[in-house]
Amino acid sequence: MILNNKSMKPIYVQIAEWLEVEILNDHIKEEERIFSQYQLADMFTINPSTAAKGLNILADENIVYKKRGLGMFVSPNAKHYILSKRRNQILGQMIEALVMEAKRLDVRESELIRMIQQARAESEEK
Amino acid sequence: MSTIQARDVTKSYGKIKAIDHLSFDIEENKITGLIGRNGAGKTTLLKMIAGYIRPTSGELMVHSRNPFNSLEVSAKTIFIDDNMTFSNSLTLKDILTEVSHFYTDWNSDLASGLFDYFSLNPKQPHSNLSKGTKSTFNNILGLASRCPLTIFDEPTTGMDSAVRKDFYKALLKDYIEYPRTIILSSHLLNELEEILEDILLINQGTKRLHLPAIELREFAVGIRGNTQVVLNLVEGKEILYREEFSKGSLYVVLKKELLRDQFEQVKQSNLEVVPVSTDDLCVYLTAKTNGGIEDVFKRS
Repeated sequence: MILNNKSMKPIYVQIAEWLEVEILNDHIKEEERIFSQYQLADMFTINPSTAAKGLNILADENIVYKKRGLGMFVSPNAKHYILSKRRNQILGQMIEALVMEAKRLDVRESELIRMIQQARAESEEK
Repeated sequence: MSTIQARDVTKSYGKIKAIDHLSFDIEENKITGLIGRNGAGKTTLLKMIAGYIRPTSGELMVHSRNPFNSLEVSAKTIFIDDNMTFSNSLTLKDILTEVSHFYTDWNSDLASGLFDYFSLNPKQPHSNLSKGTKSTFNNILGLASRCPLTIFDEPTTGMDSAVRKDFYKALLKDYIEYPRTIILSSHLLNELEEILEDILLINQGTKRLHLPAIELREFAVGIRGNTQVVLNLVEGKEILYREEFSKGSLYVVLKKELLRDQFEQVKQSNLEVVPVSTDDLCVYLTAKTNGGIEDVFKRS
């Protein structure tokens, strides 16, 4: 992954999200050790304190937990938690933005729904 | 613990104050970026920290000692800039060997590894090097010394962008392996901000900001849109920068926290919210006028 330093998203949030995707894709499994702040710092060429902040976001949400002297591990149920979080929060925000933009452009509700259905159908075909 | 403590440090040259009542602490084992425009006082400050010159007034402590004329401080400090000169009778290889005797933590594997990687010629004298190669060589000395306090003054002068990137990578990798206090000065923030922990921004010899690099990125936002709507939104707030794009359209930059309660309003009112790069932000924070160069051309 390449970090986008022009994004509105802070680097440490991008790190946390990247790790979530690694967990979702089973690249790091539950109860497995996750990268340390120093490994992340080395991989992405960022200050270790920035990497630590990314890991702390995951720790605060109990997606990872600390084993004394051994490092951070992926929690059981982490995958399920990330999935439902992303459904509720991220999808929710995107839909909110979508609805607002549709309003601005005078797109009616039925039309918007049709557009969503069409986009879904197109992605099925791929 | 602090490696450097500065209290009201001032350095005057005649009537001009290069550094003006500057106070700050730099904590141990952090990488700090010293950022400022040309003539802001960066080099003067770094030379005082390295013990090369003495403050006119105020108290400056490095490793809990006054650095000026202190052997103890200089044994633990290395100052790298592009004015370093070495005897012409020494080759680059000779210099590496000689410098190694001065620093107890010198890592010769790192020195020779970097030396070979950057394809330096061991038989060349230092004075024959091009600007960029000289910087590269000096920076190898800085990294390999592994000094508890390592200072790089504009380390990437003359280097091409591939070498710059390699240098910052090498610095970060060796720092992870062997943490120490590092100060990097630059007027260009964006190429090095990811590897910094803290940023000290100075302007005309005074401190403008000293904060974690992460926070600087979230310090300000840019708002763009209809002039009247923008003006209503920012009324009574301190504007860091403003620029009129076309008639009726205005771009302003302000502290993010000033808008904290109004993000909903911004969202609803058809304004564009854009991130402000830390580079641009530093320019705005050290500008004399808040319209920048545009102001010069507006006197019609």
